[in-house]
Amino acid sequence: MQELFMGVDVGSVSTNIVVIDKDINVVSSQYIRTNGQPLETVKKGLKQLKSEFPDDTRIHGVGTTGSGRQLVGVMIGADVIKNEITAHATATIQFVPDVRTIFEIGGQDSKIIVVEDQMVVDFAMNTVCAAGTGSFLDHQAERLGIPIDQFGGKALSADRDVRIAGRCTVFAESDMIAKQQFGFSKAEIIKGLCEALVRNYINNLGRGKKLEPPYVFQGGVAANEGIKAAFEKEINHEVLIPEHFNIMGAVGAAILARDEIFVTGRKSKFRGLSAADLEFTPRTFECEDCPNHCEVIEVKVNDEVVARWGDRCGKWTNSVQQLDL
Amino acid sequence: MKIGIPRALLYHYYYPFWKTYFDSLGIETVVSSPTNKWIMDKGIKYSVPEICVPIKVYLGHVLELIDRGVDYIFVPRFVSIQKGQFFCPKFMGLPDIIRHTFPEMEPVMLSPYVESTTDDLATSLKQYQIFEDKFGITRSDNRKALKKAETVWKLFREYSLNGYDIPEATQKAMSEGCQTIGDYKRSLDDKYEYAEVTIGVLGYVYNIYDSVISLDIVNRLKEMGVRIKTFEMIDDETLKKQLANMPKTLFWTFSDKLFAAGNHFYHDPDVDGIIHVTAFGCGPDSMLGKLLELDSTKFEKPFMTVRIDEHSGENHLQTRAEAFVDMLKRRKRKLKKGALA
Ligand code: SF4
Ligand code: SF4
Repeated sequence: MQELFMGVDVGSVSTNIVVIDKDINVVSSQYIRTNGQPLETVKKGLKQLKSEFPDDTRIHGVGTTGSGRQLVGVMIGADVIKNEITAHATATIQFVPDVRTIFEIGGQDSKIIVVEDQMVVDFAMNTVCAAGTGSFLDHQAERLGIPIDQFGGKALSADRDVRIAGRCTVFAESDMIAKQQFGFSKAEIIKGLCEALVRNYINNLGRGKKLEPPYVFQGGVAANEGIKAAFEKEINHEVLIPEHFNIMGAVGAAILARDEIFVTGRKSKFRGLSAADLEFTPRTFECEDCPNHCEVIEVKVNDEVVARWGDRCGKWTNSVQQLDL
Repeated sequence: MKIGIPRALLYHYYYPFWKTYFDSLGIETVVSSPTNKWIMDKGIKYSVPEICVPIKVYLGHVLELIDRGVDYIFVPRFVSIQKGQFFCPKFMGLPDIIRHTFPEMEPVMLSPYVESTTDDLATSLKQYQIFEDKFGITRSDNRKALKKAETVWKLFREYSLNGYDIPEATQKAMSEGCQTIGDYKRSLDDKYEYAEVTIGVLGYVYNIYDSVISLDIVNRLKEMGVRIKTFEMIDDETLKKQLANMPKTLFWTFSDKLFAAGNHFYHDPDVDGIIHVTAFGCGPDSMLGKLLELDSTKFEKPFMTVRIDEHSGENHLQTRAEAFVDMLKRRKRKLKKGALA
């Protein structure tokens, strides 16, 4: 029987679930909108997996990452729970071992990860400003009436350069309208927008960092050839896009789980694909036992507390008994 | 009468000495609180913006002590503790920085002029003469107090050299116990028997052991199961040996120690990676950091710089540290097993 490992990347907007085999081939991948309900979303994903694989399929290890990694990790019984930076970098290094700089632009956030000798040595992340993310492009595509999947191709067909001042979405928009009135074509405007996004991104996140090649560009926006071209123009160097560019976080989590299982030789804590049937109730409360006022998150299954985290002193985390489900 | 000791800068290296010294002279001391928001905010408010964070924080501590109603504040002027080497100019001018920022503090500052040839402060009686005049202390009592202070401080250094971090070493040296260091060492080894990775954390004591300035990086790493090594855990001989091979050394005592420690970590097979914690705006570190970074490729040891200022974010540091440690573990496992292709 195949040895399979699952990686789950739970973001605020979307959740990716991938399954890899022991040689790190991706054998299944799903993209599901999170809609603010990470638990429901993952349950849906597990049901889908159950229907994809034969009944006796066993998952040998599971890793979670993304903003909902703790909650989902507890729910499904993850073997490793890692932050996005580790997960993304792990996947990238797997496919491009000598990578030095990772550009990652997703729908809601973007990051730069600086790698040296397969080690993450620095990173910057932007979760606040939309001008450096995919939603900026979505928005402009809509405004111009061009489907987002044709956006990149259009940019490549532009004849002239036009510089759109885009420090911020709001300015970019008004400048775009002005440039349209000057008679620039849609293609040219789009190219200008792509360049504005890349400029913003590098200015915001790359500041003070040494960005050396090889460069890898990943995240949902990497599908956009216009942005890729804009990157190559801005840094004057080729930019690589890995095959699984839009599920790298989940792939990384799966690889980390696989390695954990191989190294420790342990049996996976995964509750199985039918974990989808258990009822999980999360809640948060503020601890007032000291001035830190930690926001503690608690998850219950059938009225029993299975996990707590968020406390700085560990008094809540440690008070949870390990439960075998 | 109370003397206030700011819990900042070389407090983190000499507190056992100072405390013992004043105690045995029967002089009451008050130490400012561990750095907190109030201290940080005050310090920032009264400093010039370009100066490094630890100096800003120092000012905050001085203000807290004044606020608590001490009669004197202990602000030594560190000039040199090693022949041919000096302190960073900010140490040499520390009493002047305070004096010019708060003129009303000039009369309450106690500022011995520290110039000696070793880091054992008891070796130069001269700097302590100001206390004889000021507090009517006899020469022989002064000598006795220094002797005691020296003994405790040496014990403190001994603990450091055996792998204890500064808070641990301070606590152990200053609490009377009958356990020998050998026992402690063993218990420390047990504690870290399962530590998967060891990281050399390079930084000035007043940065890495101030949990607000450094955002508690030492404890964060420890919580991830990392074993820590720092410069003060390495004996002087070893450090000197490192420097002997250098075409050029740095001019400032503690920067030089860090430089030597960094090179020692590069050669030490137990150390898996190095994190350099440096304060934004630190002059000496701009050279030190560059020199160490250049060597990192030569020795193929992962090296990460963490630059701190008053705006550093906790989550960012946590994630960075986690990612560094995660990758370090992976790398080590790969080297060991060779199996994970
Ligand atoms: S969880 Fe611990 S650190 Fe947080 S507020 Fe309560 S007692 Fe304080
Ligand atoms: S060595 Fe650097 S951090 Fe220390 S006081 Fe001087 S400038 Fe500030």
